[in-house]
Amino acid sequence: LGRSAECQKIALGGVLSVNGDDTSEIGVLKLEEEPGQGLVASRARFDALFDHFYAELFGLVYRVLGDDRMETEDILQEAFLRLSEEVALQSHADAEIGAWLRRVCLNLAFNQLRSARRARTRLERVGRLEQSIDAEPIGPSALILRQEERTAVRTALAQLSRSQRECLLLRHSGYSYVEIAATLGVAVGSVGVLLARAEHAFRGHYRRQNT
Amino acid sequence: MTTSYRTCPDVGAWRAWLDHEDRPADLGEHLQTCPGCQHVLADLRQSAAEVHDTLSLLDPTRSPSSGDIALARERFYSRRRQAVVGAAGSAAATPIRRMARLSTRWRVGASGLAAGIALALIVAFTPQGGAAAASFLAQFRSQQVAPVEITPQTQGQIIQTMNALGNLGTITSPGQTGPTTRPGAALRGAAEQVRTVTLAEASQAVGFAMQTPDPAALPAGFDKAPEVRVMPGSQVRFTFDKARAQSYFQSTGHADVNVPDKYDGATLVVSIPTAAVLEYRNTVSKDAVIVGQAGELVVDVEGGKVTLPEMRDFLLSLPGLPTGVVNQLKQIQNWNETLPIPVPVDQVHWQTTTIHGNEGLLLNDNSGAGSAAIWHAGGHLYGVAGSVKANDLKRVADGMAVH
Repeated sequence: LGRSAECQKIALGGVLSVNGDDTSEIGVLKLEEEPGQGLVASRARFDALFDHFYAELFGLVYRVLGDDRMETEDILQEAFLRLSEEVALQSHADAEIGAWLRRVCLNLAFNQLRSARRARTRLERVGRLEQSIDAEPIGPSALILRQEERTAVRTALAQLSRSQRECLLLRHSGYSYVEIAATLGVAVGSVGVLLARAEHAFRGHYRRQNT
Repeated sequence: MTTSYRTCPDVGAWRAWLDHEDRPADLGEHLQTCPGCQHVLADLRQSAAEVHDTLSLLDPTRSPSSGDIALARERFYSRRRQAVVGAAGSAAATPIRRMARLSTRWRVGASGLAAGIALALIVAFTPQGGAAAASFLAQFRSQQVAPVEITPQTQGQIIQTMNALGNLGTITSPGQTGPTTRPGAALRGAAEQVRTVTLAEASQAVGFAMQTPDPAALPAGFDKAPEVRVMPGSQVRFTFDKARAQSYFQSTGHADVNVPDKYDGATLVVSIPTAAVLEYRNTVSKDAVIVGQAGELVVDVEGGKVTLPEMRDFLLSLPGLPTGVVNQLKQIQNWNETLPIPVPVDQVHWQTTTIHGNEGLLLNDNSGAGSAAIWHAGGHLYGVAGSVKANDLKRVADGMAVH
């Protein structure tokens, strides 16, 4: 947490160099001047995509990462950064861009989960984040219980195949079969059976853990 | 249509049926006559409900608000610019990798602090400062710092209001080829001219002898030789255009906002000092302590008709600025020499402190993993930030001197 040099550069840049007024349209202008740099094609278009997809992707990534709004935001920032460099993609239909973003977010989130460093860090701070960020009125015993429940859910999810796990999370996040199919790169007609098998497997793993 | 299924539909078809994704009529007819499929469907329904309830344990406790999203978007642009600037200074680094390593908590704090500078463009003008001269009606020179508590929501509102400035007039910056619509763009040239220099060159660039920390005060494991970077100063000029402003207010549902004639053509001039940053790294842990130094931020009003307090009053009355923040700004004493530092209180604790006999701010994020100190001394603005505890950071700040 707070462990990188770059982040503090920003802090000082903000304080001392008036370098971070957070109003940047710099990327847009830079692209216009240097198309080869691959930045956003149109600020208005990119803003619209950002606003349209941010909340739903937040929910999806949050469910993968678990109780960590900051890590979730990190993933989303990274995903949108990658989108900003896919200039041609930005002119495609929203549905296609949405599928692309979900794919990127899921990859980033699961990669992040696998990071041993993150796992270690999470152990150190999970309790604090639960209280300080979500700020729910919850006592220590309830907090521990909730964490245990979530851990059990994640453990059960981890035992599924990747496609089953992602299918479950996507569906639970409210995506349609068409959107799920586009994200996973499968036929729409196969989503139902994938989902049904995922639910069956998940229920079995989860029940076995709790008995 | 009669039932056309020679064999029963597969489980996937029934799962899609359950979700109302695919409900062909013949499937419904089959269901009426097939106990086996009725059993399958019932089991799927129960399983889906159970799994849904279980997965709900993972749901976010709250979804991002529109303000959260706006703020995230602005952070995105700000961060990407930083990544580009960083990449320019280090050919081996890639923007993406850099982004991934940033800590959000610190970025939130940093973003808040950065927004403070934008805020300063407004805050420089407080009502208490009545007296105004003729052509330079009044002047703001940053001589001290003061905290202004903000939240993610109010920060987003501030950023959006600042972004709207371009709709009220014209923003220009020397060296820029033409007017822009946003203050950030006007600063682009300077932001992209960050360069690595020697300490002596940095002193020359900022116009005074750079202070450095006492090496003994640096936390163990940090390199004693810093990397030194300089970002040249710049100037942003914002000229009001009454017709444009009123048109904008009308289009945004604020037709009641009146722009007096004398504001037409009045120019706000913000002179941003050259800044230098010393970065001390711990190559093992990747931690860093950053020391920044700059001259004064100066704000003038030109145009001869509008006083600085009047300009400030008008800016603070812009639709969209959060009342709580405006009130905090109005309460700042010595308004014409106080640089407000917004502190996102949900992420960062602050306290006043004394560094070299000067009042400053000591900030630390709520986890205690990172901290920062900001103070003014001798007409210069100083800051120290690092992934170290506040006490350790204070020791670094206290050890600052021209060595």
